[in-house]
Amino acid sequence: MALPVQERWDLVDAIARKTVTTGTHRQTLGDVLGDLTVRPLTGISVAVAVLYAFWSIFSSFAGALVTDGFMVKAFDNYWLPWLQEVWPDPASIHYFLFVGDPLAENCFEAFGMLTSGLFVSIGVVLPAVLIFYLMMTVLEDSGYLPRLAVLMDTVFHRIGLHGYAIVPAILGLGCNVPAVTATRVLETRKQRFIMMSLLAIFIPCGAQIGVMLEVIPETVGWVMLYLVIGFGIFGFVLDRIIPGSNPEILIDVPPYHWPLWDNVAKKLMNRTKSFLKDAVPFVLFGVLIVNVLYLAGIIGALADLLEPLFVIWFGVPKETVGPLVAAFLRKDLAVAQLSAIAMTPYQMITSVVLVSIYFPCVATFVVMLREGWKELAAAVAVLVATVFIYGGLIHAVGILMGVA
Amino acid sequence: MNQNSTTLSLYIGLLGLVTLAFGLADILVWAGASPGFSVGILEIAGDDFFRWAWGGAVMVFGGLFMLGGVKSAGSLEQFGKAVLGAVMVWIIAGTDIFARLCESIPAGEEASEFFNSVAGFVGGFAPPYSPAILLLPFTLVILYFLVTGRFDETRE
Amino acid sequence: MADTSKTVLMMGNPNVGKSALFNRLTGGDAVVSNYPGTTVDYTKGVLIESGQEYEVIDAPGTYSLEARDAAEGVAVRLISENPDATVLIVLDATRVERGLYLALEVIERGCPVIIALNMIDAARDRQIAVDARMLQKILGAPVVPTSATGGEGIRNLAETIRKAQKADIANVRARADGRFDEPARSGGCAECGRCGGC
Repeated sequence: MALPVQERWDLVDAIARKTVTTGTHRQTLGDVLGDLTVRPLTGISVAVAVLYAFWSIFSSFAGALVTDGFMVKAFDNYWLPWLQEVWPDPASIHYFLFVGDPLAENCFEAFGMLTSGLFVSIGVVLPAVLIFYLMMTVLEDSGYLPRLAVLMDTVFHRIGLHGYAIVPAILGLGCNVPAVTATRVLETRKQRFIMMSLLAIFIPCGAQIGVMLEVIPETVGWVMLYLVIGFGIFGFVLDRIIPGSNPEILIDVPPYHWPLWDNVAKKLMNRTKSFLKDAVPFVLFGVLIVNVLYLAGIIGALADLLEPLFVIWFGVPKETVGPLVAAFLRKDLAVAQLSAIAMTPYQMITSVVLVSIYFPCVATFVVMLREGWKELAAAVAVLVATVFIYGGLIHAVGILMGVA
Repeated sequence: MNQNSTTLSLYIGLLGLVTLAFGLADILVWAGASPGFSVGILEIAGDDFFRWAWGGAVMVFGGLFMLGGVKSAGSLEQFGKAVLGAVMVWIIAGTDIFARLCESIPAGEEASEFFNSVAGFVGGFAPPYSPAILLLPFTLVILYFLVTGRFDETRE
Repeated sequence: MADTSKTVLMMGNPNVGKSALFNRLTGGDAVVSNYPGTTVDYTKGVLIESGQEYEVIDAPGTYSLEARDAAEGVAVRLISENPDATVLIVLDATRVERGLYLALEVIERGCPVIIALNMIDAARDRQIAVDARMLQKILGAPVVPTSATGGEGIRNLAETIRKAQKADIANVRARADGRFDEPARSGGCAECGRCGGC
């Protein structure tokens, strides 16, 4: 037997009246702080501070401490020379595939599966992902995240989403795979589609950020700025052209509480484990496949074919075409490869932005497919169009500013 | 109680002003692109947009929050603002200290060993300090009031 | 282990601590966060209590059985796909009235239910008193106060799962209006009169 909705609510009231007694609730400091962090004026200042802390800790830990402090040294001074010495026959195919350039002096430039592949995944990306997830978890468990969602609600409505889109968006800064699944918090197919496309295109994952921070630290800010602007522009456009609704939601704001450390530890473990399982093999095999394609001459052929597009439309030098094509499979290393090519800072920004908005990694493709192949196909179409338009746009801005 | 509250107000107001001034100084040194500013154990390097312009803005917000919480600092709501202002200073100081920690554990690129010597490690924490770190001990007073709950009759 | 495994489906509003409770019950590692909508897919785990094996499913949070988004859709699908499951309804003790709507919907479906009054510690802190015994009387199903973060009441909850009851919504209505006139069941436990009766 089922009740009509109104009667059910009446019954809820009746039961609640009989069972719940609310004493006089004294406002606590937690309540006051909770309130201050959602009010626009104070809330935005706090958000600015939180972002600052996030980025500062991220770059101190991942950049200065682990990667520069230990990993670079371990890989360049010990692992690489050892591998170059013991691996037989530097002229052979397998040497090229696994060790890469026999004359390379650091692991970024060797481009072998066991040199660059391993260095990027373990030495650069792993610490970045680890610290990212630690901070993310603390933000989640303390209850700050829903407050950020409330603050961002107005902004996100402009691009066809609502405040809760902040959850997949932030998750995407770690890894796009869980972020795509997290788009399920959005109500309509339109919203989910917009979010997935924007995620795949404009949100660089922890791996990319980690590598960028390592190879081109002085340009990262600009690249991120272009990505944020692109996120806004294309969200706005997609909202206009995609049919569907964007319902208002009421965001539930839980009270602040201290994170439970065993919960934080558990979550950190799980997330890192699934990153190791999903992403690391991909980086390694991506390097391997690109090396095979280089040997087979496919990358070269594609580069010749696409050269006019890249040089004329995007305004990047001829040499970048190869790495940019290879970036379809090896996004993280493409940045490292690009950093070795001589070009103007603006061309560098352009090409790194291009790499970031390129195809997402294979793992992301797979989860997007799980959410629906039609959406995936449409997202890919959006992506191709976006790369083309936005790449040209950045070039145009560069010309106008006189720096391209 | 009343007198206690007035003293607290005065203290928070003073701290807020200094924080605000330091925050503005951070931004100004960065914007002026001067070679940096250093007095005694205080140093504003101003070399990096992120640390000095953005971080300086956070300090400015912190100072404004404290000033906003000056009036009747004994009430919970007003004290909340002061706490939030102090949290802003803690964020900047905390990340500064964390950055020093991260830089002084490894031995540095040129050295052959991995870990820094103890002397090198400790040396990483030598003055001069950024304004936020210098302000840190002074904001601890707010922490004291927070923990003891002496700002108000309310718990927590 | 005479019986085969029974299914326990955990349902409730977003952010009432279902996943935390699930982890407590099964030793599982469902992702727990302090914001609504963390669980967007279900997690399964096993609980063995008094020789009975239960398969516990942690469903995404939902406000009603009419799904609004994909995550809620998963929750609704789960309850349709497991018609024989015992439903463990998780209520937030600080906001009981919110979760009751869903609880009533589940009761109307005729599922055997047990109610966990979670976050009871937070409710106490905020001077909100929930009369669990009264709630149990009105709903005609066991109500156990718990705190998933603190661990309070978990043992009790696990032991009570087997006492889950189907309730008749008309009787709930009557009892909510103060008419406790149905004949007392012949159960051993006089306090609630409704456990293990049938």
